[in-house]
Amino acid sequence: MSYLDSLRGTTSVDAIKTDLLRTAYDNDGSFLHRLDPRLLLIWYVVFLFVPWLFYDTRVLLALFAFVTVMAVLSRVSVYLVGLMAFSVVTSLASYAIVTAFTGDPVAAMRALLPFTFKLTIISVASLAVFSSMSPKTLARGLLSLGLPRQFTFVISYGYRMFPVLFQEYHDLVNSLRLRSKAPDSPGRFRWRHYVYLLTLSMKAFYPMIFNVAKRSRVTVEAMEARGFSKSLDNEASRQLQLEDMRVRWHGIVFFGGSLVYVGVVATVF
Amino acid sequence: MERHTPAIAVDDLSFRYPGGDERVLTGASVDIEPGEFVAVIGGNGSGKTTLCKSFNGLVPHFYEGEFEGSVTVAGKHVAESSVSELSEHVGYVFQEFDNQLVSPTVGDEVAFGPVNHGHDDYRERVARALSLVGLDGAEDRFLWELSGGQKHLVALAAALALEPEILVVDEPAAQLDPTHAEETYDHLAELNREHGKTVVTIEHQTEFIAEYCDRVILVEDGAVAWTEPVETALNRLGDLRANDIHPPQVTRTAEALGSSERFPVRLAEGVRRFEGRESGATPTDAGGARSPREGVEPTVSLSSVSHSYSTLRGGDRQVLDSLSVDLHSGDRVALVGSNGAGKSTLLKLITGVEKPDAGDVSVRGTDTATTLPEQLAEEVVYVHQNPEEMFVEDSVRADVAHYLSARDVSNAEERVDEVISFLELEALEERDGRLLSVGQQRRASLAIGLATDPSVVLLDEPTGSLDLASRAEVGRTIERADERVETVVIATHDLELAAEWANRVLVLDGGRVIADGHPREVFSQGDLLTRANLKPPQVVRLSTELGVSPVALDTDELATRLSGDEAQAHPLSEDQPI
Repeated sequence: MSYLDSLRGTTSVDAIKTDLLRTAYDNDGSFLHRLDPRLLLIWYVVFLFVPWLFYDTRVLLALFAFVTVMAVLSRVSVYLVGLMAFSVVTSLASYAIVTAFTGDPVAAMRALLPFTFKLTIISVASLAVFSSMSPKTLARGLLSLGLPRQFTFVISYGYRMFPVLFQEYHDLVNSLRLRSKAPDSPGRFRWRHYVYLLTLSMKAFYPMIFNVAKRSRVTVEAMEARGFSKSLDNEASRQLQLEDMRVRWHGIVFFGGSLVYVGVVATVF
Repeated sequence: MERHTPAIAVDDLSFRYPGGDERVLTGASVDIEPGEFVAVIGGNGSGKTTLCKSFNGLVPHFYEGEFEGSVTVAGKHVAESSVSELSEHVGYVFQEFDNQLVSPTVGDEVAFGPVNHGHDDYRERVARALSLVGLDGAEDRFLWELSGGQKHLVALAAALALEPEILVVDEPAAQLDPTHAEETYDHLAELNREHGKTVVTIEHQTEFIAEYCDRVILVEDGAVAWTEPVETALNRLGDLRANDIHPPQVTRTAEALGSSERFPVRLAEGVRRFEGRESGATPTDAGGARSPREGVEPTVSLSSVSHSYSTLRGGDRQVLDSLSVDLHSGDRVALVGSNGAGKSTLLKLITGVEKPDAGDVSVRGTDTATTLPEQLAEEVVYVHQNPEEMFVEDSVRADVAHYLSARDVSNAEERVDEVISFLELEALEERDGRLLSVGQQRRASLAIGLATDPSVVLLDEPTGSLDLASRAEVGRTIERADERVETVVIATHDLELAAEWANRVLVLDGGRVIADGHPREVFSQGDLLTRANLKPPQVVRLSTELGVSPVALDTDELATRLSGDEAQAHPLSEDQPI
């Protein structure tokens, strides 16, 4: 019997955590990481619009190939790619199911495919950009573009808290398991067992939020005890946080190159 | 005459938390002089933390309760200065080392303060602060990959980077193993001596107070009961006990010997005082080998168990490395080891929520790899080191009942009532466990464990950051659980507890059991404990220094043996309560 599933459960929880942390922080070597975050954000905004200008599937394929190369270069998490693939496939499937009742599903799919494709290009571009920037770089980029420090701090802090949240949740699910009773017979395909685990994982959610909220009280005190609110309207502090951001030549080349590529693709097809 | 300015002056301070019925502080007054090293002591709920939080303005600026009286720090009135402003004068290190760290890397964390204040020499400040705590060059390391001790030092460095004159450190020894706690204290002592910082620590462990502090402030019922130089303070044994504080073991030994002079408070003084006394009455258990148990099935058996976790950059970290050990019926095991030695992992393997990478774990003959943790829970109960993780319902009562109601036990209500009254939780039973104080939470988590009626009890760090009273509760719970329980395992770095309670000590280091035996036998091997970042209890070190062999495990025993009186030989039993 596959009692091994709980073994896989625990190991994969750790694996997912490590993978996401690696995506967030271990990006020193990636190409996009060396670019200025402001440039990268502007590049991203451009690529949010570009796919909507074209209808030709070949152009879209070329754009897709381009952002995929970027994603590979910035070593995107396999879990995130998997999650994205899952959402693309399920959304296509849901179109098919809905349109089966309203008319011709094949025609509907064909009509919706370019739309989904464009969304996918944007998603891959997002993965590439946000995976290549550490939360700190992203926060600094946004700060220099004029967003308030309260907001940009939350980005880097949120990521910092992520492993803590994960650990908390894992502990609570385990705590619940040690005090609950698993269904006596797991049923066909162990469905009762999985329903039971699903129920527990939902039950653990509220205590997790509660505990993390309680812990963050100490965090807020600790931040203030080191002068966080002083940084909010302090120009010297802002300068220090932004001091070593600079747009370098390879950034310009990358940005120009991207636009040239889009231009070439658009004229060729 | 020069006007005298204390570093901190508290004058008739009263404070009530918003929504609280009673005042936490009721007219506290105290002065702390520049350059002093002061310990603030008091029982759980005495108001000592609230008092210390007024030094940097967290009270009243973060807790907008009723604030009366005045607190002056470095010449500034706390009520009129912001926490940010005061942060350049007072560094505050919180007890929980994880929650106060806000950045991913050591360098960013330590730079947080100076950058907030716009100091353009922040890089030099970071380097200076890290070198003060012995973490030179650690700027690029990720915080979650550091040990608990190192995280605590980073928090200290982060406070130091603002170059404050005053440092407030909340219970540095509570969550650290003895070696790391000592290291932290050594750094504090150096900052105090060489750099003239005023250091205030909140502390339960009187041994550290005796070694490092100049003066003690006792907070009782929201007011400063007295403040005395350390030697006098630690001789006021009645006051200490009334506030649930253990006097140092060397002091207790002298008390038991009934000396009329002032009692010694430090180990070296104790050695001088007791030198030359006869040591009589060899204890009966003498730390000999336990009786062989061949043929008897162990309650818990681990054979060649390995377990590892993956880390971000360091590959897999091996926590347990082909470890084998059998636990038997009647064993009271103290599982000791430094922070991160794998104590919790070992306990979790026994519960079945973690499975070994290699090797087998079995509980009463059942292999944990093929059994659901829910099923193992009928035999094994695990009390988490952080009681908050045990609360999944919205009232203490529901939490205690959770296990029983999931199993439709017939007399569940009755049993819940019984457990609740045993641990005196009647007044708290309708409250949400997560909103209780730390001591109350610990009590409630023990109740949750007791309700399950297991044969193996696993307690993870049950005395972490607890005072004498809470420790007695843990003891009572174990006593009561003992009626049905066959094996109890306590993971701890409180070796005093291990010495007084356990009949078997397992020392964990480098993923293996490096020592296994009666506490008397294990604790006399000082080198071995040092290797595992541990330190024998003071009474054991005192015995060793005095040449008492085999070593004594508690103060009464040492006193009896030092008095050289065979007739009154301490009755040594393996079942003495804590």
